[in-house]
Amino acid sequence: MENQEQQASAADVLTQAIANKLDYLSTLQAAVQHGDDRKVYELLDQARYYQEVKKTRAARSVNHLSELVDNIHPQVSHYLSDNLIDYLGHIYPFFYYEEYTTGLFHIYFGNWWDRRLFGDLDVINVQFQFDEKEYQKLKDSFALESQNQRLNTAKIESVSAESEKLQQLVDAQAARDNDKAKLRDQLKENSQRSSLPWDSSKVKDERQGIIDQLTKLADEDEKALNAHKLIKENDDKILVLSKEDTILSYEKQSIRDSFDDFEHFEAHNASLYADYLNSLLGKSEGEVKADD
Amino acid sequence: MINENDPSTLTTSGRLLNYNEAIKSGLETGLKFTRLMDQLIKTTDPDELVSAATQLADFELDSDYVTFPHQYSNSDYYLLFMSRMLELHDQGKNVILQSRDHHEELTQELTPLGDRGTFNFRIETSENGGVFYRERATGQSLFYLNLERKMFRFNSHALTQLFIIDLHDTVPAETVKTSVQILFDFARYLKEDYGYSVDFNILDMANRQNYAVRSVDLPAGVVDRLFVTAAQNDYMLTNGVNGNGAEIALDKNVVVDIFNNQLEGQPEWVITVHDDAQQVSWFDVLLQYPFMRDWYLENLNDLEIQSDPLIFG
Repeated sequence: MENQEQQASAADVLTQAIANKLDYLSTLQAAVQHGDDRKVYELLDQARYYQEVKKTRAARSVNHLSELVDNIHPQVSHYLSDNLIDYLGHIYPFFYYEEYTTGLFHIYFGNWWDRRLFGDLDVINVQFQFDEKEYQKLKDSFALESQNQRLNTAKIESVSAESEKLQQLVDAQAARDNDKAKLRDQLKENSQRSSLPWDSSKVKDERQGIIDQLTKLADEDEKALNAHKLIKENDDKILVLSKEDTILSYEKQSIRDSFDDFEHFEAHNASLYADYLNSLLGKSEGEVKADD
Repeated sequence: MINENDPSTLTTSGRLLNYNEAIKSGLETGLKFTRLMDQLIKTTDPDELVSAATQLADFELDSDYVTFPHQYSNSDYYLLFMSRMLELHDQGKNVILQSRDHHEELTQELTPLGDRGTFNFRIETSENGGVFYRERATGQSLFYLNLERKMFRFNSHALTQLFIIDLHDTVPAETVKTSVQILFDFARYLKEDYGYSVDFNILDMANRQNYAVRSVDLPAGVVDRLFVTAAQNDYMLTNGVNGNGAEIALDKNVVVDIFNNQLEGQPEWVITVHDDAQQVSWFDVLLQYPFMRDWYLENLNDLEIQSDPLIFG
C-alpha cells in the first residue's frame, strides 16, 4: 500500500512536471501561432523579461523550461528576425543583415563600397554582437574627431613623408653624380701625390675620407634605384588607409544622423531588449483594444 | 616600242587606232569622274550621295594615256561626302571645308572647335580598306569608316586623347560636346539612313551599352580609388545592385556602374551609364565630372574603354 502510494505520488510529480513542459510548449506554440513575438520573448527568458521589461525586482524561480527549445533556436531566431529586423531598420537604418545560415545573421555597416562586416545580430537575446576590432576602430575614430584627426591621419602622414624622402633621393641623382665625379677626381689627385714619409698618414686619412663619402653616395644611389617601387607600395598603403578613413567617416555620419553622437548610440544598444519588447507591448495592447 | 606578238603595233594606222582608243577610254574615265563629282557635290538624294562617294572612294582617274595633273586625293572625297551628308540633314554649317591655295587638298574644321582641330581622312592601305578620320596635328584617328562594308567605328583611345586630355585645358567642355556631337550625328545618319553597323563606343548614350574596360580582371585598388575620390567630392560609391561591382549616383539621376559582367569563368569588367532620357554617355560623364575624369585618366591602363580590336588593335 505504502509503496503504491509512494508510486502514485511519484507519478503525480512526474505528470505535473511533464504537464508544466507541455503547458510551456503549448503556450509558446500559441504565441507563435498568434504572432505574439512579445510572449515568445517572455517565454524564452522570463527572468530577463521581468527584470528589464516589467522591472519587478522579485526574482522569479528559474524553471529552466526555456531549455526545452534550445535545440530549435535557429528556427526560433529565424521566426523572430522578421519583426525585429523591421524594427531595427527604423532605428538603425545603416545596418544591413544577411542570414548566412538559418537564424544566424551577419551585420553589415552601410551600403557603401566595401562596407564592413560589423558583427552578428543575436535575435534571441535582441542584441548586437559587434566585432570588437571593428567596433574599437569606430570608437577611436569618434574620439579622434575632437583633435580634428581621422583614425589613419598619422599613419598616412608618416607614409607620405617616407615617400617624399624617397622622391628627394631620386631627384638628387644629378647632384650626387656630380659629387661623385668630383670625389673621384680628388681620389685620383690624392693617389698621384708624391707621398713623402711625413705626409703619408695625412694623405691616407684624406683618401679614406673620400672613399667614405663615395660609399655613402653609392648607398643613396641604390636606395634611389628602389625608390619607385617603394613609392608605389606606399601609394597602395595610403589607399588602404584612406579607404578605411572614408568608410569610418560614412559610419560616423550615419551614427550622427540617427543618434547625434556615439554615446547615444551606445545607450540605445544597451537598452535595445527592453525598448524592443516595450514597443511590442504597446502593439499587442493596441491590438487587444482593437479587438474589444 | 614594237611588240612582235601584237600585229597591230606593226602598222602605223593600227598604232594610231589603239592610241586613239586608249585616249577615248581615258577621257571617258575622266567624264565619268566629273559626273560622279557632280553627283557628290550637287545631289540632294542621300542614296545618290552615298553611291557617288562609294565609287569615288577608290576611283582611278589616271590611265596610261590620259593623266590629270590637278587631282584631289581619294580621301578628299570622303570629306566632301561628310559635308554633304551633314548638309542634307541641315547641319551643313557645322563643318567647314578648306582647300589649300596652291594644290588640290581639302581639310576640314568642326565649326564649334574652329582652328583647334584640323581634320582629314587617311586611306587605310591594308586589305581591310576604308578610311580613318584623323586630326592632323595630333594624328589621332577618331573613327574608322568603310563605305563598302557599311562599317563605322569610333575609337575611344583617340577621342579620350584629343578631347579629354589634349584640348581639356583650353577648350570648354560645352564646345567639346557640340563638336563631338557633329561626328556622332554623322555616324547616326549612316546608321539610320543606310543601316550601317556603327560602334558609337564611349559616345553611346543608350543605357544598355556596356563599355568594356581594358583589364578583364580589374584590380580591386582601381575601384577603391574611385570610392575615396568620390567621397572627397561628396558622392558615394555604393555596392552595385547585382552585388558584383560598384555604383555611383551622380546628379540628375545619372548612375554609373562598374561591375564584372560575367558571373562565372573569365571576368569581364564593364562600365555602364544610366539616365532617364538616355542622353548621357561615358564621354559626357568624363566631360562633366572632373573627379571621374581624373580617376579614369589615372587608371587608364586598366580602364580604357575597348574599341573594335579588328580596326584599332
